[in-house]
Amino acid sequence: MASAPSSPTQTRKRSIVVTDTPKFDLESYIQNYKGRTRLDRLILIGTSSTFLGVDALKAAVTEAKQGQDVKKYVEAVGHLQIIGPTEKEAVVDNAWVEKQNKHNAAETNRLEHELKGYKNNLIKESIRMGNEDLGKHYQAIGDLAKAFEAYSRMRQDISISKHIVDVSKHLIEVAIEQRNWLAVSTNAQKIRGNNPVSMEEDKSLQPYLCAADGLAQMDSGEYYSAAHSFLATNSGLAPGQCSEIISQNDIAIYGGLCALASMDRNELQRKVLDNSNFRSYLELEPHIRRAITFFVNSRYAQCLAILESYRADYLLDLHLQKHVDELYHLIRSKSIVQYFIPFSCVTLDNLNSQFAAPGKSIEKELVQMIARKELDARIDTQNRVVTSVPSDARARLQASTLAAAREYEREARRRILHMNIAEADLEVKSPKKHTLATFGGADEWENSMGAGRALRSFHG
Amino acid sequence: MDDLLPRMLSFPPHPPPPKPLSDEKYDEGIKAQIAFMQQKATTKHILDQTSGGESTLNVINPALNTVPYIFTLTAQLSEALNSNSTKDTEWLWAKICNFMSTFDPRQIRYLGIQLEKLLQDGKTFARRLGQAYTQDFEEAVPVVEKPILYLPGTRDQTKPRLPCDLTLPVSAFLTINSNLTTKLRHVDVLEYFLYSGMVFIGLRKWEKALECLENAMTYPTKESACSKIMVTAYKKWILVSLLLVGKPLTLPRITNSGAAKIYHILAKPYETVAQLFETASASRLKSEIDIGSKVWQDDCNTGLMLEVLAAYQKFQIRRLADIYSKISIPEIVSQTMSAESGNRISAEAVEALIQEMIREGTLHATLSQSPNKPSILTFKVGGPTLSEADFQRELAVSTKQIQALSQDIKVTDRILTHDKDYIKYAAKQKKNKGASGGGGDLGLGDMDWNVMEEEDLMNGGF
Repeated sequence: MASAPSSPTQTRKRSIVVTDTPKFDLESYIQNYKGRTRLDRLILIGTSSTFLGVDALKAAVTEAKQGQDVKKYVEAVGHLQIIGPTEKEAVVDNAWVEKQNKHNAAETNRLEHELKGYKNNLIKESIRMGNEDLGKHYQAIGDLAKAFEAYSRMRQDISISKHIVDVSKHLIEVAIEQRNWLAVSTNAQKIRGNNPVSMEEDKSLQPYLCAADGLAQMDSGEYYSAAHSFLATNSGLAPGQCSEIISQNDIAIYGGLCALASMDRNELQRKVLDNSNFRSYLELEPHIRRAITFFVNSRYAQCLAILESYRADYLLDLHLQKHVDELYHLIRSKSIVQYFIPFSCVTLDNLNSQFAAPGKSIEKELVQMIARKELDARIDTQNRVVTSVPSDARARLQASTLAAAREYEREARRRILHMNIAEADLEVKSPKKHTLATFGGADEWENSMGAGRALRSFHG
Repeated sequence: MDDLLPRMLSFPPHPPPPKPLSDEKYDEGIKAQIAFMQQKATTKHILDQTSGGESTLNVINPALNTVPYIFTLTAQLSEALNSNSTKDTEWLWAKICNFMSTFDPRQIRYLGIQLEKLLQDGKTFARRLGQAYTQDFEEAVPVVEKPILYLPGTRDQTKPRLPCDLTLPVSAFLTINSNLTTKLRHVDVLEYFLYSGMVFIGLRKWEKALECLENAMTYPTKESACSKIMVTAYKKWILVSLLLVGKPLTLPRITNSGAAKIYHILAKPYETVAQLFETASASRLKSEIDIGSKVWQDDCNTGLMLEVLAAYQKFQIRRLADIYSKISIPEIVSQTMSAESGNRISAEAVEALIQEMIREGTLHATLSQSPNKPSILTFKVGGPTLSEADFQRELAVSTKQIQALSQDIKVTDRILTHDKDYIKYAAKQKKNKGASGGGGDLGLGDMDWNVMEEEDLMNGGF
């Protein structure tokens, strides 16, 4: 199940560079998170943003040095050397690296050894805890594949239902870092399916699972399901509760954007704005709420303007980065379609003023949308208007009826013919002698072609 | 001759009696007539002219008196073949052709031997005249557009008691025994489908051509065998589907899966062209077709390929109708390309092309020209709508045809249930059933199982 840990160069193959100034403050942003995700997020910002890059990487180096992950430390320093070689953090602290490496190796040895001891004693609880310690250790030093393995081994020695939750939570955390979304959703499912009781007891589980599911769905591009997962998050999430994977603000942003991209106006009103659970999250990100409200009130230009102003922020988000363009594109096309619905005819200038950047024309985008059948309209380039297509139900019904009748007739005839061919024993059979079994009758045909040659060479 | 004529024309009675002859009487009458003609045909007497110096063939109506006509015609034809004279050959040829399209379908049921002789001699005669291989496809249309449902088989050759019975299904009298057909091979049938497809290609009737080619492509095969004719048909089918709808169609549902696999391997170059036609640029399509020229030439498809190249821009223009309602010629020029040259073509050429398409009925649009300004093309939304009356008529035609088909289904069903192999199989089934009914082992086992389940359910209930 565990896939190879994604190497830092792999995850950022097409590195995105954000030159705009983001709106958030780095320090307060990173305080929303705990654990290894802090380091990942800092490195991402450091390698993507021209504005916050140096600061983020400096923070990352400091952060890494407090932990045990030597690889991440070296990586962070490496990035910093490129964009800020003069910083004092931009030099690899070899002494620390060596010491930490030694320490890590010794620790690995010790824990493996202990585990072996527990196994010899056959005490289930000790083996489970031994595996857990080993998993935590591997996770801390950045060996995610081994961490995943160790945590998975815990499952064999489970005695109470809380253990199932523990195992799955560990696995989800590692899998999210590995971007192994399949493992994320299966483990979320395991917690849900096996432990209805513990779900009741531990209120913090519900938001955790919703967030994990939502992330997995968003990553695979199922924005509608993702929106539903995020929107279903109970409001009880205390600050810092899921902060190893996600912050409350993230839930509002991810849920809001996914909903905007995949739901119509009624649904947005009902499931997002009127959703009392989700309201507490939206309050943290009021601009998302404003954008959705604008969309629901058909003020698409304002909605898009708000989103556009936050584009830089979202491009610096660990999970959102590769979906920003797609989500924005969906929201934009939906806005154009929605804008067009009440009209039978709109001038191109009008659409340009609503949706196009100053001095640019929306025509090309419209052409694409119509070609992809997202927008049911036709462009009149002479009068510069876009008209909706009058739906002629009668003509369509007529055409489809006649076509169906013709198709039925043709198919029935052919089936009757086939039965009679079989009855007359005239099917094409493989010749028995030929080695090329598949070309029955070919030679025969070539020889008997005389009469048909004139026909065959027509057009030739 | 004059004394013979009344006897020759005595059957069927003319004018037709108010109460039509019963089938028995008809059978009797025509058999007597044939016997009489056979006897006369042995004498040269039959070749005589009438007292007015007219040939008998000018006097007898082949549609009414098919029996005497065919005997006279075959006699004249063998005479002409033997004598080697060129006198009146054109006239005789016209008579043969006329007879072929006018003979009475009821009488001909008795005339298999004569018809076969006429066809054989006619072929020799045509070769001598150099009449064959005309490329007048129009004349073939009435024949090749008829759907084919039955093929004469070799099994179960029963002779109908009364071949003149008009309620007989065609498969009952059109048998090898009747000499109205010879023994067919699958190659003959496949060839027929392929060539009828090519007749329609020649006439640019793409839809009909597709149907004929599909008949060849979907031809039933055993053990995933495949005939080269089927592959040839498939290659042409791809190109014709491009010409008709502008993109490759999906294979008909009843295509044999083994054959389909072979098609995809052997017709790969064609499938590539089809993909490019829909998505790629004109120059890309052109270069692909240029590279494959040897392939198309070997398959005798060069002509069709040229049609495909010419159709590329037309479909581009047709697709614009899905996006624009009104567009100027210069805009069309900038958005479309000719695959014949691989380049843009002049506004005049595009305008001419559009006018041609509107004339052909492949583009529902109007072109408005104004002096000193570029012409403007306005697409009409949707296709032409039928009036209520026309629609009803079309529906009625369809309904009638489908009802007629249900008759054919019954006939086919009858043929199949009377098949020797099937009867053997059915008898065996019946026998087996009788045997297992006595033992009842299986039945008991089933019952046990049911009881168990019921018990489980009851336990669960408590």
